[in-house]
Amino acid sequence: VTNLLTAPQTSTQRQLRTIAGARRLGLHLLAQALMAALCVLLLRLPVLSPPDAYALTDARLTQNGAERIVALPDRLAKSPSGDPLSYALSFNAGTVAPGQPWSVFVPRFMSAVEVAVNGVVLLDSRRTTLANRPDRNTPELIAIPASLLRDGSNSLTIRLFVWGPLSGFLDRVYVGPDDELRPAHQRRTLLFVTTPTILSAWHAGLAMIVGIIWLMRRHETYYAALSAALVLGFLHAFAAVSPTPSPLAGWNAVLVASAALEAACVLLFVVTLLGFRWPRWGWLIFLPGLLIVAAGFYGPALVYKANLILVIPTVGLGLIVTWLAIARKAADRLDPVTLLLGCGFTAVMTCWVNDLLSLLNVTSDLRTFTARLSYSLLMVAIGIGLTWRFARALNEVDGFAQRTATMLSEAEDRLRATFAQEEKPARAAALAAERGRLMRDLHDGLGGQLVSIVALSERKGGDGDPIGDAARAALRDLRLVIDAMDDIDGDLMLALGAWRERAEAQLRPHGMALDWQVRSPSGLPVHPELHPWHVLQILRLLDEAVTNAVKHSAATRLTVILETVEPAEGRHGRIVIQDNGRGFDPARTGAASSGHRGLVNMRMRARRCGAELELTSDGNGTRLQLDLPKRFPGAEHAAG
Amino acid sequence: MALKSDNGRPESNISVLLVEDDPPTRQRLHDVLSAAGFDVSSVASLAEARAALDSTDRAGPDVLLTDLQLPDGHGTALIREVRQRCPDTEIMVISIFGDEQSVLSAITVGATGYLLKDAFPADIAAAVRDLLAGHSPISSSIARYIVRQTQGQTQEQTKAAQQLPLNTARLTPRETDILWGIAKGFSYTDIAGRLGLSRHTVPSHIKNIYRKLEVNSRSEAVFEAVQQGLIRL
Repeated sequence: VTNLLTAPQTSTQRQLRTIAGARRLGLHLLAQALMAALCVLLLRLPVLSPPDAYALTDARLTQNGAERIVALPDRLAKSPSGDPLSYALSFNAGTVAPGQPWSVFVPRFMSAVEVAVNGVVLLDSRRTTLANRPDRNTPELIAIPASLLRDGSNSLTIRLFVWGPLSGFLDRVYVGPDDELRPAHQRRTLLFVTTPTILSAWHAGLAMIVGIIWLMRRHETYYAALSAALVLGFLHAFAAVSPTPSPLAGWNAVLVASAALEAACVLLFVVTLLGFRWPRWGWLIFLPGLLIVAAGFYGPALVYKANLILVIPTVGLGLIVTWLAIARKAADRLDPVTLLLGCGFTAVMTCWVNDLLSLLNVTSDLRTFTARLSYSLLMVAIGIGLTWRFARALNEVDGFAQRTATMLSEAEDRLRATFAQEEKPARAAALAAERGRLMRDLHDGLGGQLVSIVALSERKGGDGDPIGDAARAALRDLRLVIDAMDDIDGDLMLALGAWRERAEAQLRPHGMALDWQVRSPSGLPVHPELHPWHVLQILRLLDEAVTNAVKHSAATRLTVILETVEPAEGRHGRIVIQDNGRGFDPARTGAASSGHRGLVNMRMRARRCGAELELTSDGNGTRLQLDLPKRFPGAEHAAG
Repeated sequence: MALKSDNGRPESNISVLLVEDDPPTRQRLHDVLSAAGFDVSSVASLAEARAALDSTDRAGPDVLLTDLQLPDGHGTALIREVRQRCPDTEIMVISIFGDEQSVLSAITVGATGYLLKDAFPADIAAAVRDLLAGHSPISSSIARYIVRQTQGQTQEQTKAAQQLPLNTARLTPRETDILWGIAKGFSYTDIAGRLGLSRHTVPSHIKNIYRKLEVNSRSEAVFEAVQQGLIRL
């Protein structure tokens, strides 16, 4: 039954998920289409060229001894034999104004040119190694020496060297005043020579940063993949193609062909960054690149062949799989990172397809390759993005550490409070247990014996027998000690409650009444710091006062007043004991008398508790005022 | 002397059974109570006390005064027996210190008062008379102990402190307030004034409190627990 009920539900849920995924994917693809359209529009923008008036389009092409007229740009330049193609052009310099230099501007060529004016060779681009790179759009601007330029008609000969399996290309050639041609040249140089160099520098820097991050975080493979791709890109930018055989030529060729390895690294980077599992067979994408490296041992020629056969398909495959992985991720979860990454790769792919179509002469493009440029730009963007993300993650870690520290200290505080809470009853229980033990001991021993003494003395001598009185006093003191040990939570009233009963019992046989007055609503303030030791001092002090009253005052009434007073110096408790007896003169009490000793004792006990004792006595009775401290001193200090 | 107790009976008709093993103390209490006019018989052990109970043709003594530490057992056993056999007998425990553990252990088995062994003769007679008049004495420390038990002391803590498990659940808030007042040393008059009671009802409240603390004989488990506590005394 459960299956029947749940199965349709899950299938519905799955359907809903699929629909949501399809919607996200649709959105992603729409964004990619817009991006591709934008790129196509940008690529269609006119490439920077000098005024058409200076363009030379008609040329006589001499190839293998045969001569024919071609119109520039010549896209179909092929040289199976390896011999250069010689284009003969002419231009009319008119009347050359002195001080106005003329130049020849060759905006785009593949793979190398030799330019000669009036039979004098002015440039052999093969000597500039970077210019030999077919994937670069290196322009050449050659100044014509004034002595060479003639008024009227001049001849311009361009020999085009075509290498390898690619077809050659020669764009229109411009001849004219240097001022007119140079701006276009400079802009092209900036775009196709300087910018890649700057981007290469970026690659190097980011490769180092990302590589260091990876060294510290080995489990995050994508840092390694990105770093490798950036390093390869950096090396690629400075690899030079040398037409002359050299020991390094093969390796240079390998570097030129590193695009296959780069594509594989980028694919690895994107797949792992997006959180997909990298399949074991995925490593096969590195195979073409490694084959090219192996080919490097056999010299550049083999590399160039392999380049065309292996690199272009590998790069294409890498780009497509990367793009598909991003789209797949977008179907799951469309976040800004995925969307931007998708747009970036769409742009690179558009440029790459454009380059390919141009190379295959499908489109009438002027062979300005943009794939490498857009790729470098994207890699720099990704590198910056990742570094930014890493720094942000560090911030989050900081924040997390901060939060953790705060939470930890809060938890610690709570724990401490709990401990204190738990410790308090435990201490109280220990105290109660100790008190119980003491009581049992006293019951069995001392207490029973003292009671026997009281009984015996009473039978022998009746009331007022000194031995009986002494035994009773001892019993009273025992009770006082036991009471002081009781846990009263700092409420002195509780200790005084028990004391009151004993005082009453002590006064009654002497015909004295106890008048107990609690003036403030709650009596005395509560002192959490109150220690049994303080309680004992205070109770003994009060006991002493009662005993004195019983012995010397001849009073009929003893009044005890408990109150909380609030003078200017602060709120504190006050205990007053007064009798209506005959009083005494404190100054005349003999130093050796028991009364004097009692007084000294009382003062000492008050001082130990931080309390103030004030004694007044006259014919109407004696008044003892004990002002309790606002806070009782520590027992250790008080004991000293 | 035509002494009369509060309930109107002549004191010579009031029988007191005194159980105390210490001879001087027993003799002293015997003398004091006899002098006050009570019909006192005193014994020194549980066995003698049981024999005395069996020999009386009446329903038992009017007052039982017993020590707890006796040579042949604990006084609480006697209190429980008397409480069951003679429900009308007022029971008082004699204690040296009047401490909570010995007094309350007696109260939970049926005592309703306590007497200090060294009390002055006048106080001893007065305490017995008060008890017969329905006034149970209570000390500040006993009141505090009971209140503390009402305030959610856990079983573990009770155990850790080797204290008596008291069943305080049945105490009313008013009774708890009275106990607090006593614990803090307020007089019955003060307490009555603060709580808006008549001064004379306070002692009967205290007796009620004692009755509520008495362990029901049917609750054998609780009784056993008390026994356990007593054995450790």
